[in-house]
Amino acid sequence: MSAALRMRVLAAAAAEASPTRSEIKRRGIFLGMIAAASGMGAFMIFAGLVSGGTLVRLGGEVAPQQHLERSLWLVSTTAGGALAFAATALWLALGRGRSMLGRSRRWLLYGSVLIPIGLLAWKVGWSMAFGDEMMAWPERLGLRCLWLSVVVAVGPLLAFVAMRQSAPLRPALNGTVMGLAAGACAWVAVDLWCPVAYLPHLLLGHVLPLFVLAGAGALLGQAVLSLRRR
Amino acid sequence: MPDPSHTLQEITDPAPGGEGVRRVDPNVNGADAAMQRYADGDDAAFADLYDALAPRLIGFLHNATRDRGVAEDLMQQTLLQMHRTRGTFIPGAPVMPWAFAIARRLTIDSARRRRVERRIFSDAAADDDQVTSAAAAAMVNADDLLHARRLERRVQQRLAALPENQRSAYRLLQQEGFSLKEAAEVLGTSVTAVKLRAHRAYEALRAVLREAGEAT
Repeated sequence: MSAALRMRVLAAAAAEASPTRSEIKRRGIFLGMIAAASGMGAFMIFAGLVSGGTLVRLGGEVAPQQHLERSLWLVSTTAGGALAFAATALWLALGRGRSMLGRSRRWLLYGSVLIPIGLLAWKVGWSMAFGDEMMAWPERLGLRCLWLSVVVAVGPLLAFVAMRQSAPLRPALNGTVMGLAAGACAWVAVDLWCPVAYLPHLLLGHVLPLFVLAGAGALLGQAVLSLRRR
Repeated sequence: MPDPSHTLQEITDPAPGGEGVRRVDPNVNGADAAMQRYADGDDAAFADLYDALAPRLIGFLHNATRDRGVAEDLMQQTLLQMHRTRGTFIPGAPVMPWAFAIARRLTIDSARRRRVERRIFSDAAADDDQVTSAAAAAMVNADDLLHARRLERRVQQRLAALPENQRSAYRLLQQEGFSLKEAAEVLGTSVTAVKLRAHRAYEALRAVLREAGEAT
């Protein structure tokens, strides 16, 4: 090992500023606040435009002379369960365990599969338990929910990727789980706002955005998180 | 380049239970401690980190690229990447698997960029004049030396012809002294997969030795 090489590497490092652990912690808190603010802001703006500022909608006209109303208990159960899934997804996406190389492929794959299934199963299960909640509501295709989910999740997804900075291994898979985590957070907001539990609506308006965000996360992860020579 | 006797011994006598040859390296704890200090903001610790990591990284990268200049450049890139992300270092996390994973990823990226991955990872054209002095000292006569060189060249060529994941598994376990768990972490796969890849590499290299034994 030559002394000149050593000097060159040390000089290159000295010439390039790098944040310390405390700076990274402050940055993480800032980005977390940005993620929360952007998600909630998008939700409130969207809800303000579409439903006159009503953030929690309990029901509506399914058809002429047919009104559907969700109970507060059902809303809190489905949204609370979704919140637990979102918390798990965030733990999986943002935590790295005790390794600098992040979660294992197995954990990330399990998360990628189980988060969407778990969210849908939780919603359908509790809605079925309430009988009429699953009734057909063909006028509500789910396009508004699809847009709402994506709009709410975009800011958090970008913030999550910025928090992670780099992933030497599996950048696309890490990005996928980040997309799902952002989508799971959006699911909670959309669950409060949307009273429809009709299965085709759920698949188009609630589940599809999870996959859209997972795909966007994969592309973003591969582009931003993967290591490349500078 | 590893000396032939070292290679022969490791190929024919892998560690019991397939656990790989575990060597005690004082640099490992030194690297962990230096990285810990560096992440906390002690800029002077980078020199210690360099001293603990650079020799092993250079060896690994030189084996992978067969080009001293490229290996030095990639080693520098690896350490600079660690420098850039020092603030994200997890207290207590082992540094070596992280450093080697970065080095491997940068090597693959570098090879892809130049569209000569096979050549970059190839150990082909082993230099005849690079048989180590230890091996040379062990040779009784010129015939033995020639035979050892040929054998080593064939082993290196066979190693170069292996898929990259098998070659990396073999090198991490046999040449870098990583445990199965650490190698799995570096390669981003399971312990079982590393065992399988290393086993396939051993089998391929054993076949070369068998052929050589039959030929003589």
